[in-house]
Amino acid sequence: MPRLLATQSHVVHGYVGNKAATFPLQCLGWDVDCCNSVQFSNHTGYGLDKVFGTITNETDLKELLSGLFDNFPRDYQALLSGYLPNKNSIRCMGTYYAKFKKGNSKMIWLMDPVMGDEGQLYVSEDVIPEYRKIALSPNQLVDIITPNQFELEILYGEEIKTKEHLKKALEKLHRTIPVIIVTSCDCKMFDDQEFIYCVASMKGKTPVVYRVPFIDSYFTGVGDLFSALLLDRVYKILSNPTTTLKFEDQVNNVLNVIQKVLKVTRSYTSGNINAKMGSAAEMKEMELRIVESRDIYETINTNQKDYIYARL
Amino acid sequence: MNSTIPTTRKVLSIQSHVIHGYVGNKAATFPLQYRGWDVDVLNTVQFSNHPGYPHFTGFKCSTEELVEIVEKGLVGALGIKYDAVLSGYLPNVQALQKMAEIVRQMCEKDNNVQWVLDPVLGDNGKLYVDAKCVTAYQDILQNSKIFLVTPNQFEMELLVGMPIRSLHDVKRGFELFHEKYPRVTRVVVTSLELSEFSEGNMYVVAGFDSSLSDEIFFYRIPKINATFSGSGDLICALLTDSLLNGHGCTQQSLSQSLGQVLWLVTSILQKTYDLNVADQHPQDSSMNIKDLKLIQCRDILKRDPLPSIGKPETIKI
Repeated sequence: MPRLLATQSHVVHGYVGNKAATFPLQCLGWDVDCCNSVQFSNHTGYGLDKVFGTITNETDLKELLSGLFDNFPRDYQALLSGYLPNKNSIRCMGTYYAKFKKGNSKMIWLMDPVMGDEGQLYVSEDVIPEYRKIALSPNQLVDIITPNQFELEILYGEEIKTKEHLKKALEKLHRTIPVIIVTSCDCKMFDDQEFIYCVASMKGKTPVVYRVPFIDSYFTGVGDLFSALLLDRVYKILSNPTTTLKFEDQVNNVLNVIQKVLKVTRSYTSGNINAKMGSAAEMKEMELRIVESRDIYETINTNQKDYIYARL
Repeated sequence: MNSTIPTTRKVLSIQSHVIHGYVGNKAATFPLQYRGWDVDVLNTVQFSNHPGYPHFTGFKCSTEELVEIVEKGLVGALGIKYDAVLSGYLPNVQALQKMAEIVRQMCEKDNNVQWVLDPVLGDNGKLYVDAKCVTAYQDILQNSKIFLVTPNQFEMELLVGMPIRSLHDVKRGFELFHEKYPRVTRVVVTSLELSEFSEGNMYVVAGFDSSLSDEIFFYRIPKINATFSGSGDLICALLTDSLLNGHGCTQQSLSQSLGQVLWLVTSILQKTYDLNVADQHPQDSSMNIKDLKLIQCRDILKRDPLPSIGKPETIKI
């Protein structure tokens, strides 16, 4: 049975970070070892005055990861990293994840370089060089990254305005990272704004553009769920050289699952789905229905929508 | 419109967290989620793995952090309505007393909230918390309305202040428990080694529901040649599910629920054992199984309706 180590945030209530990733992966048969980079009462979308808890300080994080490395250096088939609160915690995670990978070259590491969105950083600026160091490491540490367009630009070092430019950025990053999925591309680059565009690129292959309906409401945790499912699907390809599974189908499948989870989530909300950030009552209703979606994380074989829109 | 929206049962689970393995919250969360519960997971410690391994690292959360998250966050800012609160390991006596006070108030303010308390003190004759926690738990049990308490044999002995070695002791123990802690409605002692059954290689799980009868009931269970970390935490979580799952309007009796939970738990332990044998850990002659194979037991956890392990035996009080 596959086992993975996931280092990201933990919220007591609701579904973001490790809480969004763990249960779906467990339903898919993964033993998920959750290393929590913070423990907060709920996610920050409720309003900062409504979040309580602490971040795991660097010493504690180092202790935890070194304890795991000493006891279980060869137990993991995959590594997942998501939100980390600061420069030191990213560096610490990076150091230990590199050690784990060194002991087992087949291990797959998915890194979600959580830094910000739509031109806004929501971590401190000094985090950037740490993520760049990991992503651009000549040792090819990371197997999969899942940045949004803003994060991709930070890793690449330039703003991306055209499809051609995007292609160049992907090519450059592929020197050190085999699989890149840009979770939300600037829609101006494409034709209309009713959709979210996602680009999946595997080194040596033509990048594929996916188009999914834009849901006019704020769901926190979708990106974390996406990364988790993607790791499962891509692991199935990368860990099996004789597989007949195709990368572009696997990504399409993950997008289908996400749409189904959103549908389940909406079926539990009362009327107005336009959640407003900062309103506790409404944010509570907008938590992803991760548990209620128990039976839909597995690969769907029938009635799948084809979200493939174009090739770059 | 609201009436058509299905509801999901909600539980706040306050227990330890280990990154690797399945004890405390890691043993409780997945089974509860898999059986349909929305679990708010408050971790009282974060360790690399459980202390049953020769080496572990990690930290305990401060009392202030735990108090703030529940009092200011979950209850205050968010106003979450829970169906149950499950409390387990707390890292020190202050944290235990403060958290118990908060949970007691939650239950007082909202009759719907049921408190399931696992009095984590130790096992097999050994305390693994500060001795002050024993009296702290005794106070909590005396002063709070509690839906279910799930001590192991050693913890039951500490709570009632007498050794429990035979069926007769069990009976006396439950009587004493009820005298001392009349506000506790249900008690399940999760594993009992009794003189009567040592020959047959059996252990006993016994329960008492003061709201229903004056009978103590127990199940005899064949031992598997191994010790399992986390099995008590699993029983506690699954009992919470079985007693409060909201299927149908009639609540199941404790003895019925326990019969089903023991079917689940013994099936999971057996599968865990079989998988460990298959994985071949030959150095473990007595088989000290450190990690339950909960993920591999999804098919077992999914069963609905649940079979029962059998019929309970009873003793009149």
